[in-house]
Amino acid sequence: MPDSTATDRNVPYAIRAYSPDQLIEALRKMYLIRRFEEGAEDSYTRGLIHGTMHLSIGQEASAVGACMSLTDDDKITSTHRGHGHCVAKGADLGKMFAEFFGKETGYCRGRGGSMHIADVEKGNLGANGIVAGGIPIAVGAALSAKRLGTGAVTVCFFGDGANNEGAFHEALNMASIWKLPVVFVCENNRYGMSTSTERSTAVKSIADRAAAYSMPGERVDGNDFSAVTEAVDAAVARARNGDGPSLIENVTYRWRGHSKSDRNRYRTKEEIAEWQERDPIARMAAMLKEHGITDDAAVASIEKDVEQAVEAAIAFAKDSPAPRIEDATRDVYSPKVAA
Amino acid sequence: MPTEIIMPKVDMDMETGKIAAWHVEEGARVAEGEPIFDIETDKAAMEVEAPANGTLHHLVPEGAEVPIGAPVGWLYAEGEEVGEPPVRKTQGPERAKEPSKSEPKTETPTPAPVTSTAEVAEEKPRATPKARKLARDNGIDLATLNGSGPRGRIQAADVAVLDDRQHAAPVPPAFNNEAGPLSVIRSRGGTGTPIVLIHGFANEAAAWSPIESHLSRRPLIRIELPCHGKSPKRRLSGFPELVSDVRRAFDDLGLEAAHLVGHSLGGAVALAIADTRGNRVDGLTLIAPAGLGPDINGAVIDGIGRATRAEGLGPWLRQLVADDTIITDRYVRAAMMSRKDPDLRAAQMAMADVLFPDGTQAFDLRPAIGRLAMPARIVWGKRDAIIDWRHALGAPGHIALHLFDGLGHLPHLESPDAIGQLIAATL
Amino acid sequence: MNAQAGIEVREISYAQAIREAMDIALSEDERVILMGEDIGVYGGAFQVTGDLVDKYGTDRVMDTPISELGGAGVAVGAAMTGLRPIFEFQFSDFATLAMEQIVNQAAKVRYMLGGAVSVPLVMRFPAGSGTGAAAQHSQSLEAWLGHVPGLKVVQPATPEDAKGLLLAALDDPDPVMIFEHKLLYKMKGQVPSGRYTTPIGKAAVRREGGHVTIVATAIMVHKALDAAKALEDEGIEAEVIDLRTIRPLDGDTVLASVRKTGKLLCVYEAVKTLGIGAEVSAMVAESDAFDFLDAPIVRLGGAESPIPYNPELEKAVVPQVPDIIEAARGLAEGRT
Repeated sequence: MPDSTATDRNVPYAIRAYSPDQLIEALRKMYLIRRFEEGAEDSYTRGLIHGTMHLSIGQEASAVGACMSLTDDDKITSTHRGHGHCVAKGADLGKMFAEFFGKETGYCRGRGGSMHIADVEKGNLGANGIVAGGIPIAVGAALSAKRLGTGAVTVCFFGDGANNEGAFHEALNMASIWKLPVVFVCENNRYGMSTSTERSTAVKSIADRAAAYSMPGERVDGNDFSAVTEAVDAAVARARNGDGPSLIENVTYRWRGHSKSDRNRYRTKEEIAEWQERDPIARMAAMLKEHGITDDAAVASIEKDVEQAVEAAIAFAKDSPAPRIEDATRDVYSPKVAA
Repeated sequence: MPTEIIMPKVDMDMETGKIAAWHVEEGARVAEGEPIFDIETDKAAMEVEAPANGTLHHLVPEGAEVPIGAPVGWLYAEGEEVGEPPVRKTQGPERAKEPSKSEPKTETPTPAPVTSTAEVAEEKPRATPKARKLARDNGIDLATLNGSGPRGRIQAADVAVLDDRQHAAPVPPAFNNEAGPLSVIRSRGGTGTPIVLIHGFANEAAAWSPIESHLSRRPLIRIELPCHGKSPKRRLSGFPELVSDVRRAFDDLGLEAAHLVGHSLGGAVALAIADTRGNRVDGLTLIAPAGLGPDINGAVIDGIGRATRAEGLGPWLRQLVADDTIITDRYVRAAMMSRKDPDLRAAQMAMADVLFPDGTQAFDLRPAIGRLAMPARIVWGKRDAIIDWRHALGAPGHIALHLFDGLGHLPHLESPDAIGQLIAATL
Repeated sequence: MNAQAGIEVREISYAQAIREAMDIALSEDERVILMGEDIGVYGGAFQVTGDLVDKYGTDRVMDTPISELGGAGVAVGAAMTGLRPIFEFQFSDFATLAMEQIVNQAAKVRYMLGGAVSVPLVMRFPAGSGTGAAAQHSQSLEAWLGHVPGLKVVQPATPEDAKGLLLAALDDPDPVMIFEHKLLYKMKGQVPSGRYTTPIGKAAVRREGGHVTIVATAIMVHKALDAAKALEDEGIEAEVIDLRTIRPLDGDTVLASVRKTGKLLCVYEAVKTLGIGAEVSAMVAESDAFDFLDAPIVRLGGAESPIPYNPELEKAVVPQVPDIIEAARGLAEGRT
């Protein structure tokens, strides 16, 4: 929770707003996402994972920063590039890996895979295989919160590609007319698959779309943990206060291709290298060291710890049972409720 | 431990990848991130970068097909000793397949010979599933039934009629079912293509005797219908079974060619045989044949069938001819003698019940007559009181019609010379 | 039907019956909300919601913008998180705009998440031709949704079922799509007061007969009953089955009837090809009832055409009573 005693404007918002323990936990989550995805990539490359996956390596600050002020009662909706959101909202790595491996112990019991991981208990309503598919759903979750008076806020993650879908526009409009507690977080990683925002989107900044729906819109450096937190926390507070939705645009970059079949023909190695220089995790670690919250040894220990957590998660997934073939159509409908 | 370079999965449905080209040679030093080889998949070619710094060894050859996750080479750090290829720490190092040893493709299977479906369809009776089930459950051969549905489709009702009769009929006439072939009576002498004669209902082989002298230069063969003459008495399911019995007798004769002569019901049978044995019947004479129209004089059939004494039989027999003076008492008594066996009468009544229910001919050979290819003629008396001679008028143009004003249902009895010569002339 | 004691049965219209069901649901359960275009003060394009907004306010009877995709998605999200939305499409044709949310989200969320969440969503679709609204406002698209595992699809044909199936849909934890034929809205029928439910997945035998089975949906049930009445004078006894639910199909009722009559006629307004008639026919052909068929199965469905505007053309492209009489007679008399 924001710490109101720290007010020095020269100190980054995150340092002022959160306790050292919260910040170290945030850094740990960022490392977890990075190692988790590297582990997933390695498993995929070895043919241990079916299908494809969309990695968010390079976007960790956006995922973790946007979830900082959320509780387990608050909801998020996620995207096909959603591993980071999942970890940020507190998901269990073992269950995530088990899902990747198609195991019965996975979050979706092997029915969903990478693109549908959800963790309803932690408020994660799920990744989505349809671009912008989760946006109206987030608005619906916000409608529930408002009608039922739960006080919960929904953070709706989506990518730059989704901002040109009709669902985006319809959903933002409805969230605004009904003043719903939802924060739209656009992770603008510059490309919808191979098509750059310059080529796909009429406005310079996706945050400018907010004006059309009469809500605040803000564009921030999505690789700056503190900037993300500052913008999203304000929007969450506004939503919780009953003042309606906001749109935050986190400008970031995915280091990897769109999916595992991407041949990277639409961007240069130089561009990728340039963004790797702006590694959100390195920047977060540096910020925490600068403010005396952590040091090299502690970071190394986090890294080692995270490495082990990922290995343990993979081991859990590998050792887990596969779903039974005869259960292939289970869960299409709810079990019959006794009358 | 050297760093392994694996065949990466770069496509969703990829199982193996092919080394299209190595950019660097065995033993060369490479830096992490340097492109070292190209892979080819079904969909794309892709460059793969070195995962670490080092010297390349144990490369699989260009062109090799490598399963994903299997090593394609190893990178040795400076000073690391290069020996045998290391054993992998992870599972499943399937060996790369040499391109030259690639397995031959499975041959395209040649299509199996297919029996002509048209042929099969011809032979199968058209029937609804329900009719089939009824027939199956009651042990009835569908081929023996006539379908009342569109295109002759056998419907449940067509099976049910039979079913009712067999299982719930008002006490069917009792007789013992007999086995064995039909009675065949051959004359001695004669040469050339034989004449096969098939008598009518309630008659027998002797019926042909009035005209036989005209035909005797050819071998004469008389087949007696089931339940008639010396043929076994059998409970028939319908006309098709009757035809099937007679056809079997005809087939057993082993003739290469024959002239068929049939009277009344025997005419219908002869027509049905000619229709299915066209290549062995080179001429056909139908005398007052059944099967060419729906109506038939049921009362006469019943009357003849029921009669147990000459007194009861005579009046019915006289209806068979135009000039009833030829049906003398002696003739009637002789006819009754040949019908004295009650089993025979019962069998014939059961047969009539199946073939001519309610004064109706339960079979229709009009389509068959249209298909005849051999020379054929119809002989009919215009005073026939059993089957209307006008049925002949439906025959197609290539069938000769010989219509006699003063004759009834038995032209060969009433006017044996005219009929005998007519047949002889066409042989 | 399971109704409470002390109910009265009145004659009300199909639309009134639906409104009564929604009224009961809104009054019994705070989680129930209505969403749709012009369902508030306007009362709905077909006056089904009527004056419910006066009783429950605009927070619970919510006019949505003309945003079918977004609106459907909001309803899905709300259903996943505790509300029980009843979403009205102004015309079933507009569901084409919302297919993404219905087919990819509502139907699949439960499965994709391994059963971790369900989507208790009710959607209402005014469907069918006969109003002169032409090609984009007259379609019968129920089979589209019937093809999607995860959805349940019902087509009430009577006022009583319109109410009972809506209340059953609200009790159901999974998304239920209700197709309401627009020409039925004004039809009156006997409807019990109070709460009762009509079971989803259960067909109703509307008329018994031994000569031919007519399986019909929605308004075609009434046309089939009219046809059956006319056939009665000819001595032909038609059995008329109102399918009521097309997903899941009530195989038992249909198969039992076909075993009895041996003749099957399927009548539905949607385009004949690849529709519910094909499904029912295939179900019979794949079952033991096949052995009882005594004639080819006959389907009467909509023409391979959009719905035309001209009233005579409009009638000509969907099955009418004389078509049903002729088809049923041909089957019963063994001429088909």
